[in-house]
Amino acid sequence: MPLIIKDEYPEKLFREDGKRLDGRDKQELRPIKMEVGVIKNADGSAYLEWGNNKIYAAVYGPREVHPHHLAKPDRGILRVFYRMATFSVFDRKRPAPGRREKEISMIITDCLEPVLFLELYPGTSFEVFIDVMDADGGTRCASTTVAALALADAGVPMRSLVSAVAVGRIDGEIVTDLSGIEDKAGEADLPCAITWFNEELSLLQFDGDMNLKDLDQYLKLAKDALTKIYALQLEALKSKYLTIQNESSGGE
Amino acid sequence: MEEDEEIESEELDEFEDEETSRDLVVPGEVVSEDIEHFLPGRGTILNKERTKIISLNIGLKQIKKNYINVIPLRGFYTPRPGDKVIALVLDKSPVKYVCDINAKDTAILKPKNTVKKTKMRVMRGSSQPRDDSSTDKYEIGDILIVKVISADRLNRPELTTIGKYLGKKVGGIVISIDPPKIPRVIGRNGSMIKNLKNLTNTSIFVTQNGRIWLRGEDMAHERLLIDAIRKIEREAHTVGLTDRMSVYIENEKKKRGIK
Repeated sequence: MPLIIKDEYPEKLFREDGKRLDGRDKQELRPIKMEVGVIKNADGSAYLEWGNNKIYAAVYGPREVHPHHLAKPDRGILRVFYRMATFSVFDRKRPAPGRREKEISMIITDCLEPVLFLELYPGTSFEVFIDVMDADGGTRCASTTVAALALADAGVPMRSLVSAVAVGRIDGEIVTDLSGIEDKAGEADLPCAITWFNEELSLLQFDGDMNLKDLDQYLKLAKDALTKIYALQLEALKSKYLTIQNESSGGE
Repeated sequence: MEEDEEIESEELDEFEDEETSRDLVVPGEVVSEDIEHFLPGRGTILNKERTKIISLNIGLKQIKKNYINVIPLRGFYTPRPGDKVIALVLDKSPVKYVCDINAKDTAILKPKNTVKKTKMRVMRGSSQPRDDSSTDKYEIGDILIVKVISADRLNRPELTTIGKYLGKKVGGIVISIDPPKIPRVIGRNGSMIKNLKNLTNTSIFVTQNGRIWLRGEDMAHERLLIDAIRKIEREAHTVGLTDRMSVYIENEKKKRGIK
């Protein structure tokens, strides 16, 4: 008889003092830590801690496409492999890529493609490997963010970075950056990503129920959060070089 | 054996340029909004509304005449005709060698490009086999210094070993660094490479695909040089690197007890 632990969600997702269960305000992001150049053998890499999410991304390319029939004669291709580690969630995650992994890999590919100049690299592929070491809600947004960082670190020409965040509704209130429990017990969830060169949405998914009239409000809140994430991304990319610069000028 | 060095043309000295500011830019960052006076150069692009110049790479901003360039700090090697590169023979068949030149495609070296043609007319009629039709000259695993004779986006690059400095390298060590940082190892008019050679008493051959061949009189000197090159690679975007490297090598020499 297997041990079955039923998921139990609290009835209320807000505390008595009006804050969320993890002590955040409604529009407050979880603590985010980003770092680039963490994987030595990859062409570019990044690491992200977003609340309890811990995600690595590694970029290889441009390189030959295997299997060969996937290669396009007129342009390069971008392949994203989103995988969750077996220990990343409460129940053991079966390591074989399932429907969810394939879907998220596809949406991240579609999300990042507009910022790359794939037509300059015919017959080749850029490969992004995203490994979720620890998952707690919003991994598709976090993965998109960290994949864009890793691509920039690899020196792949890009029109701009891409940032992503989820907004949603819990207990009738619109909140930014849903955690795992809010994602499951909440009413609506709207992950969205932005490409900064034209400030257009590159990803918009929806789950749950909400009033369509509120969509503008959701997107406005998402934009505010995305601006904060973008600033963190820029800082992470630059700090790798600025620390070395400060070291050397301080020694003189 | 007298060793040779490769000093690249001035276009590669962009890191040391006075016009290169130390402003670090990342992809998508606005480099300039003054499009009346500046044009987007290398590593930059105009935005859709044609009002801003934005960067495509992570790199250093440079203003040259009325062009704004971004000199990348990370990137990959794209072969261009005329480049001298260090190649590793991966495979050979009776008609060609397949070489790794650190580019997205493997390169092809045909046997006719490994032998000088001038004496072939004299050889005609003799019973000796024509050595331009077989791939016996090099073995798999050989390190060659080759020149790229043709390269484009679609076809695999073609190589030749006929020419000055070209051919098989015996002995020495080959190390790889980030290809965009090669100009920094060479320095302005070869100042950095001369400095390294004199201070560590080694022979160096720097090529544009990010590979460096080196040979010193003993292991200690070679190790010191490799550490120095790694330091240059790490600090490529800082100012006054050539002077700092001299100090570093002198200090390390004392520390390691080599003359």
